[in-house]
Amino acid sequence: MREGWDDEQLLAALRESLTAREAVPSWFVETGKNAYAWHNIDAELAQLTYDSSHDRNRAAVMRSEAASIRALTFTSARLSIELEVIEGRLLGQIIPPQAGTLETHTTTGVTTSPIDEIGAFVVDPKPASPFRLRFRAADGTDVLTGWITL
Amino acid sequence: MRDDPTVVALVTRAAGSDPGAWNEIVERYAPLLWSICTRFQLSTSDREDVAQNVWLLLVEQLGRLREPAALPGWLATTTHRECLRVVTAARKSEQGGTRQDDALLQFADDTVIEEEILMAERNAALRAAFAELPPRCQQLLAMLLSDPPHSYAAISATLDIPIGSIGPQRARCLERMRRSTALATLGEGEMKIDIPGGERRA
Repeated sequence: MREGWDDEQLLAALRESLTAREAVPSWFVETGKNAYAWHNIDAELAQLTYDSSHDRNRAAVMRSEAASIRALTFTSARLSIELEVIEGRLLGQIIPPQAGTLETHTTTGVTTSPIDEIGAFVVDPKPASPFRLRFRAADGTDVLTGWITL
Repeated sequence: MRDDPTVVALVTRAAGSDPGAWNEIVERYAPLLWSICTRFQLSTSDREDVAQNVWLLLVEQLGRLREPAALPGWLATTTHRECLRVVTAARKSEQGGTRQDDALLQFADDTVIEEEILMAERNAALRAAFAELPPRCQQLLAMLLSDPPHSYAAISATLDIPIGSIGPQRARCLERMRRSTALATLGEGEMKIDIPGGERRA
């Protein structure tokens, strides 16, 4: 440390640092610690490649009929997952179409939904934010989206 | 303090598979996230939302942070963005989808963010230096810092030291802190930020 602080300043700075730490509730810290459970998950990551809420031109054109529908697309090397939020439900489609299982992971747990032969699925009601989806198929396909906040 | 070896080591270990290192990162920077949420006056549930998103994003980025030493900056910037998102979403639902308020722009002031990062680094270094002190020093300084302050008589009775040696011991403990490696990395930037209530007592 440079020759900067005298004893009083150092004490005051120390007080400030300890007070800042004490102000933080333990649940807030636990939230951060729990996130590590997602480290090194062995699935292929699907990136968000389209989000209607980021697409202002489209929103301007379609404002009258479609402004309330949120559409998202996640893409990985082998497939994409298309999502729409309609009337409180999450409707999805795996492309190219294939059957499998969809896991909806929230910060409090996991639910599963079936995916039919044409790759369609419904999560009803839409999950609490943030959540992420994991698509698994019998052939070993395992694709995980990033965290989604609706 | 841009190249704090502690932060680089923690990020590297957490990017491997070391929950202890991750927990240390969270303990170290949770106050930074909290103070930014406080500046945005977020509700409890919004704070939880922001914290979840920021830490989950970091878990995904761990192996990809180009400069681990820049972690505090990444955290501050990401927390700001997440706070802006929840504030904007709340306003949209209140006002039926109007444009972003000009008032929100004050939150994005780079100088403020930079100060928050420096303050977080300084506080983390001070807490680390404090944690390295021998228990006797920690007890003494904690009693001196308590609010309301303990009298020298109470400190003398609790810690079983003569009143006359409290002053010298305090000076020795502070000198020890000053020489610690944790504080050695503090740069001029961190030192320059005002210490709240840090003006000399009469």
